[in-house]
Amino acid sequence: MTGLVLKNVTKSFKEGDSTVDALKNVSLSVNPGEFIAIIGPSGSGKSTLLSIAGALLQPSKGEVLVNDTNIGQMKEKELSSFRLTDIGFILQTSNLIPYLNVLDQLLLVCKMKGKVTAKEVKFAKALLKDLGLGQKLSKFPNELSGGERQRVAIARAFVNNSNVILADEPTASLDSNRAFEVVKQIRYEVKERNKAAVMVTHDERMLEFCDKVYRMEDGVLTLER
Amino acid sequence: MFLAIKEMKHSKTRFAMIGAIIMLIAWLVFILSGLGNGLSTLAAATMKNIDGDLFIYEEGSEGTMMKTKVSGAIADDIEGKYGVKEAAKFGQSTIIVHNPKITDSKVNEDVAFLGIEPGKFIEPKVIEGKQLSNDNLFGVVIDESLADKGYSIGDKFEVTSSDITLEVVGITKGETFNHLPTVFVNVETWQSYAFAAPGSDNGLESPVAMIALQGENVDADAIASNYDAIETVTKSDAIMGMPGYKEESATIYMMLAFLFAISAVIIAVFFYVFILQKTQQFGVMKAIGASDRFIKNSIISQVFVLSLGSIIAGIGLTYLTALVFPEGMPFNLDFKMVLIYAVVLLIVSVLGSVISARQVTKIDPLTAIGRVE
Ligand SMILES: Nc1ncnc2c1ncn2[C@@H]1O[C@H](COP(=O)(O)OP(=O)(O)O)[C@@H](O)[C@H]1O
Ligand SMILES: [Mg+2]
Repeated sequence: MTGLVLKNVTKSFKEGDSTVDALKNVSLSVNPGEFIAIIGPSGSGKSTLLSIAGALLQPSKGEVLVNDTNIGQMKEKELSSFRLTDIGFILQTSNLIPYLNVLDQLLLVCKMKGKVTAKEVKFAKALLKDLGLGQKLSKFPNELSGGERQRVAIARAFVNNSNVILADEPTASLDSNRAFEVVKQIRYEVKERNKAAVMVTHDERMLEFCDKVYRMEDGVLTLER
Repeated sequence: MFLAIKEMKHSKTRFAMIGAIIMLIAWLVFILSGLGNGLSTLAAATMKNIDGDLFIYEEGSEGTMMKTKVSGAIADDIEGKYGVKEAAKFGQSTIIVHNPKITDSKVNEDVAFLGIEPGKFIEPKVIEGKQLSNDNLFGVVIDESLADKGYSIGDKFEVTSSDITLEVVGITKGETFNHLPTVFVNVETWQSYAFAAPGSDNGLESPVAMIALQGENVDADAIASNYDAIETVTKSDAIMGMPGYKEESATIYMMLAFLFAISAVIIAVFFYVFILQKTQQFGVMKAIGASDRFIKNSIISQVFVLSLGSIIAGIGLTYLTALVFPEGMPFNLDFKMVLIYAVVLLIVSVLGSVISARQVTKIDPLTAIGRVE
């Protein structure tokens, strides 16, 4: 099955002499075209889950399959090139590169793989136009509003055309009108391009746009809806 | 390169400032090398101009000009043997001369008094007047620097502390010796001056300071073993043996070495701070999938472009400065040397950035996740 599958994943952190279980036996599967949300209090393990699903962290126990590839045994170098081709991260607004214009934010991702092709430039422009940024291609992050910045971050996550999209509190620094806009747009792109998408949020109002909602509590994941 | 150029375009002031510092360092390096070159040329111009392949000095003098005395008979004997095509006698003393024509306060001049054989390869070409000849033993060829002080062709001047009077017959240029203007004279006249005191010739036949040899394959070992009380010295050793030459060059090379080290440290520190400031950004790039190499390459290529531009600007600045240097300043830019120092400086600064860029490996991509700011 394509998409994202976590099987009985446990993640323990050593803190001095004791170990903290940030994730306890978590299983989750997200199909292509599915947009799910994870909510839960701060410190419950949401970011840890997202990091493991996004090949940033290795699980202590269990399996992680992205597009049928088991990333559990990969080395640091393989993980970074895997992230480049198979994962799309939507990060905080502050995570754009300040000296790149909107189009270059996307082309940077292509650049990391090698030469930028004309096809990639066309795709990047189409994505940005889709997200209503067609007129802002040569603007720098400090010239954009918070909502526009977040839409650039969304476009950047889609530009490598990976099958898995992961978003960590994408609406954290936005007012509610903008937040609704942004989440709707993520949903639109996920459905349009048939991605498996996970969004971590603590904003309950965003849940109406998601197909499933999971709740994380002390490292335990349960399906809520 | 993509990131490097975009960032420099975006933060022009910041990079212009670092560029300016690199440019000033490069400028200092080139000025210093030009001065060093000029000084050593001045110190040893005559020695450098002598187109000799090998030099005969007194045994134990270690190629030091001030300490040597050899028999001039060797020069007459050695031609045609051991691969020697031509042998030229050379004598040197420092004398004080007085030109009655000049009446201002500084009437006496220190000069290098050099005895040579007319017609031999070490004789400099005159730019004005006549060459030396065996017919006029007291006719001399003087360097331009002495002519600048008022000496001209036809002048008769005295050698103080002796009763010799010399006459200027020709003027040559670019011939200074131990920072002094030169006065070339027939070697016989020089001998009668230098060994005026009885017994000062150590019993040598026709004593001179040293003998310069020319030839395709001069056999140094054979020469050393066939003549008594001599040693053979290569040209570069002979130049090193000029009084003060080694010390002067060492001082300048020392300063250059420090400059190179300092520029490496400055660049390394600058970019270390830059990378620290950009930890968050690099974390994001790594989370998206950038390899360490991608980020390091962009840092190093940035330093390369910046240093290259700054060093070229530094070269331009150096040549501009050279234009306004006062005449007579011992400044001599050798383009080949400028090029070599430019390349060394470039390598050194890129190495500095390579050292700083190593810390990129330590940046954790996890810093990009789970941060709500
Ligand atoms: N690198 C780490 N080292 C030690 N403990 C960690 C690390 N990352 C997360 N934790 C711990 O794991 C738990 C879950 O953290 P996190 O996934 O960030 O929660 P959330 O994103 O839900 O706020 C917390 O108790 C946190 O202290
Ligand atoms: Mg979190």
